[in-house]
This record gives sequence, C-alpha cells and structure tokens, in this order.
Amino acid sequence: MRTGIFFCQKDKNTGLNFEAIAKYSANLPEVETVQILRFGQLPELKILTEQIKVNNLERIVLAGDMPGYFKPVFTKAMALTGGNTNEVRLASFQEHGARGENAMDRAKAIVACATLGVPFALAAIPGGNPVNHSTLIIGAGIAGIQSALEIANAGKQVFLLEQTGTIGGHMAMFDKTFPTLDCAACILTPKMVSVGQHDMIRLLTRSKVVSVSGKPGAYHVKIKQSPRYVDIKSCVACNQCVEVCPVKVESEFDAGISMRKAIYIPFPQAVPNAYLVDGENCTYVLSDGKKCGACVKKCPKECINLNETDHYLDIEVGNIILAIGYELMDVGKIEQYGYGVFPNVLTSLEFERVTNASGTTGGRIVTKTKRLNKKTGKEEWFFSPEGIPPRSVALIHCVGSRNKKYNPYCSRVCCMYSLKFAHLIKEKVPNVTVYEFYIDMRAFGKGYEEFAERIKQEGTYIIRGHSASVEMNHDQMVVRGEDIFNDKLVEFRVDMVVLAVGLIPSGSAEELSRMLGVQRDSDGWFSELDYNGSPTDTDKGGIYVAGMCQAPKDIPDTVAQASAVAAGVLGSISSGKGIGHLSSLSLSEIEARAKLIHTI
Amino acid sequence: MAIRVNPKFIDVLGRFGAEDVQLCYQCGDCSTVCTRADELYRFPRKSMHLLQMGLEQKIETTLEPWLCYYCGQCSEQCPREADPGETMMSLRRWLISRYDFTGIARQFFRSRTTEVLAVIIIGILTGLFLLFYGFSGGNINVYDGAGAFLPSTFIHKFDLTIGAVLAFFLIINAIHMWYLVMVKGTQFEVPWWIYFKQFYQFPWHFFTQKRYSECEKKQQHSIYMPWLLHLGLMLGYVIMLVLVMVFIENLQAGPEIQWQVHIFGYLATIGLVAGTIYFIRSRLTKKYIQYKKSHGTDWMFIVLLFIIVVTGIAQHIFHRTGLLGPANITYVIHLMAVVPWLLRMPFSKWAHLVYRPLAMYLSSVRREAFARQEVVSELYPVFIK
Repeated sequence: MRTGIFFCQKDKNTGLNFEAIAKYSANLPEVETVQILRFGQLPELKILTEQIKVNNLERIVLAGDMPGYFKPVFTKAMALTGGNTNEVRLASFQEHGARGENAMDRAKAIVACATLGVPFALAAIPGGNPVNHSTLIIGAGIAGIQSALEIANAGKQVFLLEQTGTIGGHMAMFDKTFPTLDCAACILTPKMVSVGQHDMIRLLTRSKVVSVSGKPGAYHVKIKQSPRYVDIKSCVACNQCVEVCPVKVESEFDAGISMRKAIYIPFPQAVPNAYLVDGENCTYVLSDGKKCGACVKKCPKECINLNETDHYLDIEVGNIILAIGYELMDVGKIEQYGYGVFPNVLTSLEFERVTNASGTTGGRIVTKTKRLNKKTGKEEWFFSPEGIPPRSVALIHCVGSRNKKYNPYCSRVCCMYSLKFAHLIKEKVPNVTVYEFYIDMRAFGKGYEEFAERIKQEGTYIIRGHSASVEMNHDQMVVRGEDIFNDKLVEFRVDMVVLAVGLIPSGSAEELSRMLGVQRDSDGWFSELDYNGSPTDTDKGGIYVAGMCQAPKDIPDTVAQASAVAAGVLGSISSGKGIGHLSSLSLSEIEARAKLIHTI
Repeated sequence: MAIRVNPKFIDVLGRFGAEDVQLCYQCGDCSTVCTRADELYRFPRKSMHLLQMGLEQKIETTLEPWLCYYCGQCSEQCPREADPGETMMSLRRWLISRYDFTGIARQFFRSRTTEVLAVIIIGILTGLFLLFYGFSGGNINVYDGAGAFLPSTFIHKFDLTIGAVLAFFLIINAIHMWYLVMVKGTQFEVPWWIYFKQFYQFPWHFFTQKRYSECEKKQQHSIYMPWLLHLGLMLGYVIMLVLVMVFIENLQAGPEIQWQVHIFGYLATIGLVAGTIYFIRSRLTKKYIQYKKSHGTDWMFIVLLFIIVVTGIAQHIFHRTGLLGPANITYVIHLMAVVPWLLRMPFSKWAHLVYRPLAMYLSSVRREAFARQEVVSELYPVFIK
C-alpha cells in the first residue's frame, strides 16, 4: 500500500528529534513520501490533495505528539481524492508513551506500526524476558519493610535500600496508631528486627540509586553508599563516642524538637543497631581530618574510621519496588498560623514526637520552656520533660491540604491522627480542653467513624469550621474560628496549636522518576498504571509502587499495598517472565513483530 | 413564613460579577480573617451559604454586604479560590438593583450596552438642549449675567430639578431598603426610640467612613490608603454637589474669585482628582486583589467621574483666564457628563453613598435591639487566665 507519512506538531517539541524519525521512516516498505509539516499550522487542503494525487497515496500516517488535531484535514483531503478515509492512521507519540530514555526508539516503532497498518499495542506486547530473581526495594519504611519480608519469606533475594542510617521510616516516629490506639513501635520493631536478621534481605543503609538501566526482568542498578564511618559488626553501642562529640544538630528522628550529636544512633531500636557519623556536620570530615577526631580516640572497640569514602555498588535485579514515602509540606509558608514565629505552634510530626514515650519529653505533653543560649546570647524555646502541660490545645485540620494555593488534594490521614491526638492529650493531661477545628470529617476506614464518635464523647470540642488565624495576645495564643453548626464566631485562648500539615511527595521522587522513567501525576505522586485495576504497577514493566509515594494513605492501606506488590513481584519471578508492559520490547523486536502480523 | 428557594440565584448573581460561589466548601476561613465580622453579622461565609442554597428572599433582607469594605483578605485566604470578597461586592450590586423599584438598575448592571447607550443618549439630549437654550438667547462669549450663554440662574434651576428627581428615587429606594431589612428581615422587636438614639450613626459614618478605616488591610498601603482616598473622593463629591446645588451663582460669577466658595471648590477638586486617578490606576494595574476584577459599571462610574473632573477644571481655567468662548463649550461638555451621571446615581454603584451609612445606622439599631433580647447561654467554657 502506497503510504505517505506526515509529521505534524502543534507546538515545538523538545523531547523528540523529528528529523531522525522521519529519516528512519523513509526506509520503511512502500513509503512514497515523508514530510515534516510546519509547526502549529493546519496544512492547506489544496496542497494536501495535490500531494496525494502526485504520489498516488493509499494510506496516510500522521505522526506527532497529538496528531488527532490534524486528522480532519487529512480525512477531507483523502475523501476529495477518492481514497479510503479509514486509511488515515495516527502515530501518536504521546498516547503510546514515547518518553523517557527509549523515547526515540519508541517513536520510531510507533511510526513503523502505523505505516504497516498494525495497532501498536498488538505489536508491542512482549513475549517475556527471563527474570532475575532478586528484587530492589527503594525506601525502608513500613511499606518497604513489609514488601521485603513477604518476598524474602518466599525465599527470594531482596536488596532493601534506605537513604538514612536506619530502617523504619515515619512509622517508627509514631506513638500510637489510629483507630485501635495500638503502639506503633510494637507493630513495627519486630518487623524491623526480622528484616535485620533475614538471610535473604541485604540491607543497604545510607544508600542512593545513581542510575538504572536494562529492561523489565533484568535491571542493572548502580547504587552509591555513603560512608557510615562506623563498622556495624564491631560497634557495641556503648555510647562513649556520643559523650565526647562536640557537634550538636537537630535530630531528624525527633522531627527537629531535640538535639543529637554528629555521631549518633537514630533511636534505640534502630536497625542496623549501630552508631553512625553524620558526615555533613562532623568537624573531622568537614575539615578533611585536620580538626577533632575525639570519637576515634575514645572508641574502645576501634570501630570508627572517619576516613571512609563513598563506595559504589552494582546490582542486577529483576523487579524494583518504589516505597519512598512522603514529607510534610513547609508549613512556614502559610503565614497565618505563625509556625516558626510562636514557639508552641507544632506540626503534627513534632507533636507525635512530643507525645511519644521515647521522645525528648518522655511522653509528657508539655509546652516549650524558655532558656538562654549562652553562645548566641539569645533566648530559645525547647522541650524539656519538666515543662508545663498545656491547659488548652487547638488542633487545626487541613493545613495546606484541600487548598488550591498549596495542595489541592486531601492528605487523607490528618482527620484521623488529629482525633488520635485529641485522645492522647485528654488521656495524658488532666483538665485539658481540646478544640478541634475541621472542615469535613473524613473518617472513612474500618472503625474510624466509631473512633471519631468516641473522641466526641470524650469531651473534645469538635468545631465544624476552619481556623485561619493564630495570634499572640499578651503572651497568650488566641485561635479564631467560625463555629458553623452553632452559628457563632469563636475565639479560644490556647497554650498549644497542632497543625495537621498536608503531605507532599518525598524530595527524591522527581530524580527517581526521571531515572526510572516512571510517570508522576500533577501533584508529584507516582502514577499507577490503573487506579482501579492495577494500583501497584507503574507504566514501566517491573517497577512497582507501594505506600505513600503513590498517594497519601494510612498504615493499613500502605501495608496492604506493600503485600500486593510483593505478590506481583513473586508472580513475575515464578512465571519466569517480566510483567508485560508496553515498553519492554526494543525497536527491532517490535518492528519484526509488526511485519509478522502485517504479513498474516 | 415559608421561604421560596431560587435554585438559579447563583447564575443570576454571575451577571453581577460573582462567578465562583459554587466552589465554596464552607470552611469559614473568610469569616475568621475578616476584621469586620462579629457575633451578629457573620460574613462572608454565611452570605456564600445563603447564595449556594438560593435563598434570594433571605439575602435581600441582610445587611452583611454593606458591612463589608472589600479589603480582599478573605479572597486571598480562600482555599478554594471562591473569591468571597468579590461575591460580597456582587451582592452589593445586586442589592442596589433590588432596592431600586424601577428595574433600571437591574438593566444597567446586567447589560453594559444598555448602560453605555443610556448614558450617551442622555448626554447628547442634554447637550442639544443646552446648545438650543444657549443659542436661543445668549452669546457664546458671555459667561454669566445678562445675555450669557448659560446664565447661572438658569443652571441653578436646572440643577435643582435634577436634584429633585435624584432625591425622589433615592428616598424611595432607601425606604424600600428599610422595609426589607427592618420589617421583613428582623424577627425581633425593635423599639421606636432606638431609631432616635442611634441616629447619630448616619452622619458619623457618612462623613468619616470609620468602619472602612478600621479594615486592617489599609496598613499595606502606607500613604495611599484607600480609605483616605475614598473619603477624599466622597467628601469632594459631596462638597461639589452642595456648591453646585446651592452656591452655583457665586461659583459661576466672575471675574474676581469669591474665596468663601472657591476654597471649598479647590479642596473638593483635590479630593476628586486624587481619588479618581488612584482608583483608575488601581483598576488598571490590578496590584491589589480588590481591584482585580472590574465590573462594567465600575469603569463607567470612575471614567465618567474623571471626565467630569477634567472638564470642570478646564472650564474653570478658561473662565479665569478670560477665554469665555472655550469656557462655555467645555461647560456644555461638562454638563453632558454631569447630567447622565447624576441621573444614573440611584441606579448605580454611587447609590452606596446613601445605602452604606444607612446600613451602618440600621445595623446599630438592630444590634441594640438584639442586645435587649434574651442572652444566649454560653456553649463553651471560657478559659480565663
């Protein structure tokens, strides 16, 4: 069939080299003419009909990012010259996913399929590759841990990658889980210990993915492991190094409400249970070995080596699971709540550490105490176990969530953890008044609605109406709001404000999505292949998402999704095939298949 | 009494400028940040709610729109970008059309073409009438006195006629407003003497616009506080109105300046020039949220006023420098803008000159009457330090 290929594009495309694709397509069988039309303009009907007549075209292929826009003109031209209008075919690069590292090959394959008259999806269904039996899990929070355990328990090798010095993620920071008020650590730490002791799990802490290549079933991953400076095997956690370390920085595990040294253990139950040195703050490392080094001299086991450097690791894996979790949004930019200005305005994660028995206040819910910093001569606020308990606390929902200026989506867990906070405050502080400002109470899970009812009955003042102002009036915080159900404006004096801060994708999501070729949605969360049908797969074969990095979700949903991912991975391993997604075949393979189908 | 719901009320209000009301999800952020909302008058959320429910008959009895000065904080704060500030503004436009019994205001607000056509036709008719009058008895080179083109005695009568028409419409509309708010919209009893007790509120708010000055947003503009400029514009306008209605004969007489009236004239001009330029500039630059959306009537209002001010100044300069021919011509042009402007007043935004202080007065009356009711028991524990 005599074919003409027209490249049409609405706006200047940056990703694809149209000329190269055009040159390639000129060599396809029975191609009479290949033309790159001018950007942005509909071609003139007269010229088109002339072209079709001159070249005696029977089929027209429109190639471009969104060629459907140009189709009517070509159909008309085809009809005018008496051709078959069904033979105006589209080669849509955007629709068939010509993006990422293999974009050019993909685009060529799309054009080839359209030229041969074969549906792209039909030609590009993979036959299946042999699958490497080991799996890489990026992120060792509760999702990563759960997936790792499921896969490892099935007897398959797992590489568990973690950026920080310990596994556990955000769940390790929590005190209680809603709605059952179970102790979070009691659920998590046994799992962490089994991960640490499992034969089939190789734990890679302080590590980052540098590059990924290969195809589903056989990915080649390069990993950069930052130095820990402490030998895990010989360290006995005697704590003598911490006593001599002169550097103090904010503790990440305590959400910044307490200080740690530059050599530290994130928390007592950390896995691997060994100390590490924070290279970014250690005086010795920063000065290239000229200053300090006190911990090295003090260590009785001689397991500290501050001259360690990065080392790189190459691994071959069959499947990759993304479980990189989330971050809190920077609430300082929502000025009206006074976070960072008033001492006792806390984010949810900070409050979680205050109420946690392993936190800096020993689980006592107290307001911050003032002290004089002798170095800078300034007054600063800090949490101490001897602080004064608050007499009234305001919990404000939807801070930055469901807000078109910040995050348009619902962060999904805030309602429930705020109710949990209300319960914990009521439980731990006598005679406290708790005000809860909400817009809509989203208690959607099993037992959640009952939990919300229970909190209401405990005597928390639950106010339907959002507060948008926290002010300081004579050293007393005042929260204003509108109580919509009781139809009045309210103003409460409170000692502490806890903001239910919206969740945003983890900072490394962008880099990883580029590296792996996984799509992200407009809010930055990883896109699943199909929200209802395959919520754990991504559009790239052999790469899966689990937990918060796909969308905000609570712990039960995260664990469920992590287990589902493990099932998918184990399925692909035991079937011996990479899970079939479109991008798994190379150009020549697709071309060969298309020709085969064409001849049939 | 049953209330009829008008489900299309949001669409109706869309023509008056409120486009995003249905986006509101009733979080109450706007009422929280509003410095003008209080226990009895909670807005803008409540107005948004009434609007969403289509309670047209309830909204027409509310005073809330008049208590808002559109500082724009609510719109900046709104998480849904539903623009409550602009909604209150649109409600004010709608209320002006609601108070107006003739239905002209409604036409003007809904269709820009109607308004522009009406203004042009009245302007041309005025011009033709004045030219006819001038050429039939006067000399174009005489400004005032015997044989003048437009003698001040004639202009005085002309002014008073227009003033009477204006007052007729405004007073009837104000009574309509009182009826809607105090009779239909007030469920509790209001003793008659409170009207007298609170009457000082009307001139007080008319001449000071104190509530406007209390809007926190004014602090963002250091010198060009919109309150000060708005007050200057309003006072300039009122002084000019009084000068023109009562002292036109002293004002127009020449050649020597009568400082007793002219000092007021100059002061008023300063206020008018500063105000019009500031508001035109704000609406063009769109720097502040309250000037981002301009309804057609806003432009008509401010541009026509600007033309009046410019022609008025030009006429004064020509008159004082002895160029009496050009002075008379600019006088005609000036009046061609003034007459449609004045006649348009009861049906346009400018009617808030009367409605706003009246609303302050009525709100104080209602507040005092409400306080005489039973005290609602406290629902919350009040924390006392």
